[in-house]
Amino acid sequence: MEKIRKHTEDAVKSMDEIRKQTENTVKSMDIIRKSIDDTITDTIIECIDITRTFKMGEVEVRALRSVNVRIRRGEFIAIMGPSGSGKTTLLNQLGLLDTPNSGKVIIDGSDTSRLSDSEKGKFRLHNLGYVFQDYALLPELNAMENVYISLMMQGKSKTECESAAAEILAAVGLGDRLQQLPSKMSGGQQQRVSIARALAHSPEVLFADEPCANLDSETSKEVLDLFEKFNQEKGQTIVMVTHEEWHAEYADRVIRLKDGIVQE
Amino acid sequence: MLEKARVSFFLASRSITRGNKGITIFTVFVLTLIFIQLVLFSSMLAGVTLKFNELMVNFQTGNVVVEPKEEERYIEGASALQKKIESLPQVVGTSARLKTTGNFRYKEKEIGATIYGIDPADETFVTGLEDAIISGEFLSRPDKGEIILGREVSGGFGALMESKSLEGVEVGDTVELTIGGVTREFKVKGIYSTRFFMADASAYLTIADLEEMLGIEGRDFAQEIAIKTVDGTPEYDTRTALLSLGIGENIRTWHEFAGILRLIESTLGLVRNIMNAIGLLIAFVIIFVVIYVNIVNKKRQIGVQKAIGIEQNVIIVSFVLQAMLYAGAGVIFGYTFMRFGLVPYTVSHPVEVPLGSMSLRLDNAEALNRAVLLFLSSVVGSVIPAYKLAQKDLLDLIWGK
Repeated sequence: MEKIRKHTEDAVKSMDEIRKQTENTVKSMDIIRKSIDDTITDTIIECIDITRTFKMGEVEVRALRSVNVRIRRGEFIAIMGPSGSGKTTLLNQLGLLDTPNSGKVIIDGSDTSRLSDSEKGKFRLHNLGYVFQDYALLPELNAMENVYISLMMQGKSKTECESAAAEILAAVGLGDRLQQLPSKMSGGQQQRVSIARALAHSPEVLFADEPCANLDSETSKEVLDLFEKFNQEKGQTIVMVTHEEWHAEYADRVIRLKDGIVQE
Repeated sequence: MLEKARVSFFLASRSITRGNKGITIFTVFVLTLIFIQLVLFSSMLAGVTLKFNELMVNFQTGNVVVEPKEEERYIEGASALQKKIESLPQVVGTSARLKTTGNFRYKEKEIGATIYGIDPADETFVTGLEDAIISGEFLSRPDKGEIILGREVSGGFGALMESKSLEGVEVGDTVELTIGGVTREFKVKGIYSTRFFMADASAYLTIADLEEMLGIEGRDFAQEIAIKTVDGTPEYDTRTALLSLGIGENIRTWHEFAGILRLIESTLGLVRNIMNAIGLLIAFVIIFVVIYVNIVNKKRQIGVQKAIGIEQNVIIVSFVLQAMLYAGAGVIFGYTFMRFGLVPYTVSHPVEVPLGSMSLRLDNAEALNRAVLLFLSSVVGSVIPAYKLAQKDLLDLIWGK
């Protein structure tokens, strides 16, 4: 009898352990599922199997070969790689400035491959911001006008445009140069206006194509510090092409490209 | 829609005010010249037409002409009718005339001409013939056997068709006139020139002389009564007033006599239209080139504008607005120059032409028409290059391809 009682107690203990283990497994699975869900909902850009080919005369150049990239909301991404590796081409696909030959770019859940040119234009106007290597400011507009032109296009009133432009220009340290024309500004100041223009409408993603290529180290640092500030303080998603390792150190993650293929 | 127009206007205005001043000044200057060219020929034509009309009224028909009733050769009781007409307040004077054709003979030369028999005193109230005498004197009522000749009849004095004149008749010479088989000699009392060849191809003698030659002495007949009215009186009002007097004769305004003038006017009108078409084509090409060069220089900017989400249509409209503003400035400067410069200048300093002293006459309706045409060509001239470039691939534009 004593033996039977002991066996029964052992059996109950084993069952308790099994139940405990099962509960732990279920908990782990929940955590894994939650983590997958979080990953999916937190993805701001997903590019799937992107291929981009350019024709240069008779020769076909494959700039991107089946590239897959996922960028989370609030991430600061640096795209790096040697010349001709497809960095800018990838940025242009992600930023809807170009259309891939095949593959999809999904931004904030929208499949952009289905958008027409004019719909892409509207999408860029409301959701994306750009900083170009050579600032690309409109020379006939002053700093404030350069910043608020996209807000005007969104239909904002003059007062709204001006106050938003003044605020963002102050944030990039140009609060005292609102009426300055680009021709009267240094390269660093122009690039800061360009950043202000890119951020004025609070875009989902800021794209920067070698934003410091024409700037000296000190000014480059100022620009990158600004990026870091907006990324950390406002959770601004930034995708930046660069070829300088120290620029990439500002980023949370680096996507390395070589011959149109992601290396990471 | 409105916000898009606002952005287009914003971009256009900044481009003009802060863009290349040299290009703006050059474009506006050229468009000003084109507008002037477009309205100048019309103004000249209007000036010539006005001159023709003035000459017609001042030297031939007066404002209104009363002619015999249908199927009658003469107006009977001309003096009484003249008095009746002169009772109207707007009538300055009337001249009862006999009018026929006759043959002149001088030395070996023989030509045909229109002959008027007039009362010289009455005629001075209606036409400026007396002031048009360039040699000798005008007729007077008691003159007998005397005649005045237009320069196209006498020849000399700058006659346009010398070979079809008597070639060199002078005051004091005697010419032979044959009307309906009756031949008489007349002493040339004066030679006149109105510079209006239709009026200068006539001759005037006293109505008594002509009555005698026509065999209707003392019958108080006339073949037309020319009526001069106060300046600015509409001819059709005068006609109505005459009808209300119970005048049953045929009443015609001077406009109805201006058939050949209308022909000349419409011929010149055709030339004007061709000139206008060429002018507009030049305007179109210039605007096209200016906008095209402007756009080519702004390829990258257009690319950037498209990249940041400025719609293609907004960009195109901004260039069209620029062209329209250039055209608008050209029209304003051109119109101001014509209205307050050239036209008043030619009024105070008339240009001497074979017809006489001529000034320009700017018609506002014509100027508006040319302004609209210039606007339209500026729109077309800018839409084509702007559309062509704005629809290029975004990256090609950004890379300046």
